[in-house]
Amino acid sequence: MQLTPARAVALNVLSLYGVALILAGAFAAQLFLHELPCPLCLLQRVMFALLAIGPILNIRFGPRTSHYALSMLAAVMGAVVSGRQILLHILPGDAGYGTALLGYHYYTWAFIGFGLAIVLLAAVLLSDRQFAHDASPPSTGRFATAAVWLVLALTAANFLSTLLECGFKSCADNPVVYELLKHGT
Amino acid sequence: MEFTALFLAITVVMLAAWRGARAVALPLFGAVLIACGAVYLHHATDVLKLSF
Repeated sequence: MQLTPARAVALNVLSLYGVALILAGAFAAQLFLHELPCPLCLLQRVMFALLAIGPILNIRFGPRTSHYALSMLAAVMGAVVSGRQILLHILPGDAGYGTALLGYHYYTWAFIGFGLAIVLLAAVLLSDRQFAHDASPPSTGRFATAAVWLVLALTAANFLSTLLECGFKSCADNPVVYELLKHGT
Repeated sequence: MEFTALFLAITVVMLAAWRGARAVALPLFGAVLIACGAVYLHHATDVLKLSF
């Protein structure tokens, strides 16, 4: 099936909601399970947020290979980061970092997520028809606009959360308290 | 601190991609990606223990 430009944009909108779901899930674990993200965990969140730039550009300016390439670069780097964290806890007897979800730790899920993103991006790039559009940018509906602002808000919330967690110094390897809140009490 | 800066930078890139010019958003993305690579390499200098 060949993707039309409109369908490709709709897929990009859905992918933004997917990224928003991942970022919100990470926040839920942080807030409800009181598990502060480690430096590599934060870097994986950063890569998920960076993954969203390509879809935002596709929604705003129309689908282009260069936009998909940005997401591909972010996904590859995210896979490298999460892969490293898997290797850090690969020794037998190592309990891993944080709580496991359905048998896998969050960084393992992140690795699966980045791998899936790479495959999906390659699959979407198979369709040439989406790139056969004029230079005028596509019109964006409320559903698409809401997706962009949702991801933007979650990234900004991560900025505030990380500021509270790490303060104005390097983040702790195994953080247990919010540095800025600790100084406030 | 470095992660706080990265999240702020990505927020700016997202705003540039959504509201600004494409010619601004693309180089900004590249700069943030390079910064991410630098942060990763900084943390990758830790000893990596393998089981073989």
